Amino acid sequence: MPIKTWELDSNFKNEILNEAGGEHLTACYQCSTCTLGCPITEIVPSYNPRKIIQMSLLGMRNEVLSNPDLWICAICQTCTARCPQDVVVGDVLAAIRRIAEKEEEAGNLKIESPRPLFEKAFLHTVEKYGRLYDIGLALEYYPKREGGTVSGIKAMMNDYKDFGMRMAFRGKMGPLGGHGLLKGVLPSKIKKTDVMKKIFEKVEGK
Amino acid sequence: MSVDKLAYYPGCPSEATALDQDISTKAVFKALGVELVEVEDWNCCGAAEAEDPKLVYALNARNLAIAEKDGLDIVTPCSICYYNLARTNNALKADEKLRAEMAEIDPSLSYNGTVTPKHILDVLMNDIGVDELKSKIVKKVEVKVAPYYGCYIGRPLGTAFDDPDDPVLMDQLIELIGGENVPFDYMKTKCCGGPLMMTRADIAFEMARKVLETAKNAGADCVALACPLCGMMLDAKQPDVEKALGIKIGMPVVYITQLLGLALGIDPKSLALGKNTVDTKVILGKVV
Ligand code: SF4
Ligand code: SF4
Repeated sequence: MPIKTWELDSNFKNEILNEAGGEHLTACYQCSTCTLGCPITEIVPSYNPRKIIQMSLLGMRNEVLSNPDLWICAICQTCTARCPQDVVVGDVLAAIRRIAEKEEEAGNLKIESPRPLFEKAFLHTVEKYGRLYDIGLALEYYPKREGGTVSGIKAMMNDYKDFGMRMAFRGKMGPLGGHGLLKGVLPSKIKKTDVMKKIFEKVEGK
Repeated sequence: MSVDKLAYYPGCPSEATALDQDISTKAVFKALGVELVEVEDWNCCGAAEAEDPKLVYALNARNLAIAEKDGLDIVTPCSICYYNLARTNNALKADEKLRAEMAEIDPSLSYNGTVTPKHILDVLMNDIGVDELKSKIVKKVEVKVAPYYGCYIGRPLGTAFDDPDDPVLMDQLIELIGGENVPFDYMKTKCCGGPLMMTRADIAFEMARKVLETAKNAGADCVALACPLCGMMLDAKQPDVEKALGIKIGMPVVYITQLLGLALGIDPKSLALGKNTVDTKVILGKVV
């Protein structure tokens, strides 16, 4: 793919440098250690964190932000642990994902991966109850991912029917699950949900 | 160093999918004479899903502040909770401005940086220590184990408490209880795929398969682990992995506290050994 020099955005690296974890981005000397140890590259050979960093340094903002590979990083931090230049590679990728999400919110980008929807659904339950609520998460995530309630519930059942039975059977979820009646079915709600609300309002600027 | 009382941060899975880890952790610490005081009204650490460090810091500042009031260090059985608590602690300790920012969100987030967050494996091996454990062990658990550490025990550097490429704490614990570690070096610290389960199950399943089949080919009776997300992926989801990939694995997966508990003479039921997805009977037959 030829580089469209006229589209390069020399400020892109600064955007990343300003995000938490992005501080050492410019120290990268392209050794590929990050990619060589990555468990995702082992499975998806085209996945290449080194290349994402190089493209970011060059200012290929559009190509980087619309790269679907951003969303298949498992955040395992192997790259971070091994980078000889102290680039916090895992956090750099997270910073780039956050910039992409902001662009999507501003209507400038369409993210195909359902990962932002999943992360939001997860955090919504934390905001509301103070703890993860698996069922609430799934009920928000699947319909959004599938673009409809019926298809969403169907996809959810497909993924979780057997799993739910297994968990219920072992008393981990379901009517007699968890440490008390209906644990796992009903959310486990903390007392200070008002503090959760404040955290999300002030940090996420909602 | 000896410890007799710690704040306990269970983490969300402890209430449902990782009930076995929660029950066995409590049973083991009780048998070791270490009191666990649950962090009162604790909230979620943000897991892998809170990608904004500020959000992670705010969520964990509250939990740290609660333990700080009780004057206790925090222990958690979850690797991701540990990572989030520990990196928050590092960030807040080093940055007064950040501490003020947290306190401004809500006074209950005021944290002075006096708590040390720890992972159970760290507490067992380094604080309680081998000698103390040895003195309490009454049975031999003669199983062949694939010790699986996953992501946040040996990395990243700022929060790790074991070697990034060749961690040893779990290996040592397994030897201590009479078990045998099978050759598993390459897989010890590979990611289980957990964070991708809900968005790219195909990749996540392949990652889990690698871990489980490597353990099987190495002749392990079980995989031992110390994180509920790994437990979710490798144990609770194992039948789904088998179904999706058209393979049979049948590899028992247990929490390290379940194995240690057996060596401490705790009965299997009190260690929730019937709650693991893949049957664990093969292990019970090897406790002598
Ligand atoms: S390991 Fe570090 S220096 Fe090497 S390519 Fe990756 S980010 Fe750059
Ligand atoms: S954090 Fe992401 S890019 Fe880095 S090694 Fe893990 S999966 Fe690969």
